[in-house]
Amino acid sequence: MDNMMEELAAKTAFTIPIFGGIPIADSCVVTWIIMAVVVLLSIILTHKLKKVPTGSQCILEGVMDWLDNFFTDILGHKGKKYLPFLETLIIYIAFANLIGLFGFVPPTKDINVTAALAGVAIIFVQAAFVIEKGPLKWLKSFLNPINLLDLITRPLSLCMRLFGNVLGAFVVMELVKGLCPIGVPVIASAYFDIFDGLLQAYVFVFLTSLYMAEAIEDEEQH
Amino acid sequence: MGMIALGAAIAVLTGAGAGVGIGIATAKATESIARQPEAKGDIRTALLLGCALAEATAIYGFVIALLIIGKM
Repeated sequence: MDNMMEELAAKTAFTIPIFGGIPIADSCVVTWIIMAVVVLLSIILTHKLKKVPTGSQCILEGVMDWLDNFFTDILGHKGKKYLPFLETLIIYIAFANLIGLFGFVPPTKDINVTAALAGVAIIFVQAAFVIEKGPLKWLKSFLNPINLLDLITRPLSLCMRLFGNVLGAFVVMELVKGLCPIGVPVIASAYFDIFDGLLQAYVFVFLTSLYMAEAIEDEEQH
Repeated sequence: MGMIALGAAIAVLTGAGAGVGIGIATAKATESIARQPEAKGDIRTALLLGCALAEATAIYGFVIALLIIGKM
């Protein structure tokens, strides 16, 4: 039990010895690894693009097509310019949730990471509102106190949902490993690490894009 | 220690509500897919959204339970 609580805490990987020491968390180091992997993959996969796709380019185009269609369905054509951000978000969270498979600690297990992600998402949604409708309308929207409340509850629930799911999966996996270390963890990992991790990445970005669709929709249509 | 563990266990009881909610949502989704198979995609999207929102309550209970245990 004590061992487990220790596992749950966010650890410090190392400390930069300037300004009295800046602690660098584990999640930050793993995020650097994810960044390196994603950048390398992008370079390798887009290295020799052909008119007629073959091999890995087929998979790449399939994934990007699916993402494009998924977000355009929700946001409409107006939201086209916001697609890169949302796609980056889903790719990062998916990688972060899946990296547990390779023996790293998923960065999304650290509440600071999910809080930052939720904060970025909600700031982006508000920024899209200002860009699409102007700052005056943005200020006017807060005359409805529900919108003010949404500013707090939405990032809170986004952050807690992702954090709680990843942490819950981690705890259950540790318990299963303690109970029966052979065979069973493989099946449990397929559900908790792969299915749940991808589902949570999907849900996080899906909710963000729903909020955004609400922020940039035309009022004249109603 | 004993009472704290009991408190954490009570906090995790929120999972029951989420289970019932997701169960009802899935039952209705299956029903509507059987009735209208062509609307499968839309139903699945709505179901996932509903499940994610219902599941959040269970997750809150779990996070609270962890916070309680962490206080020990």
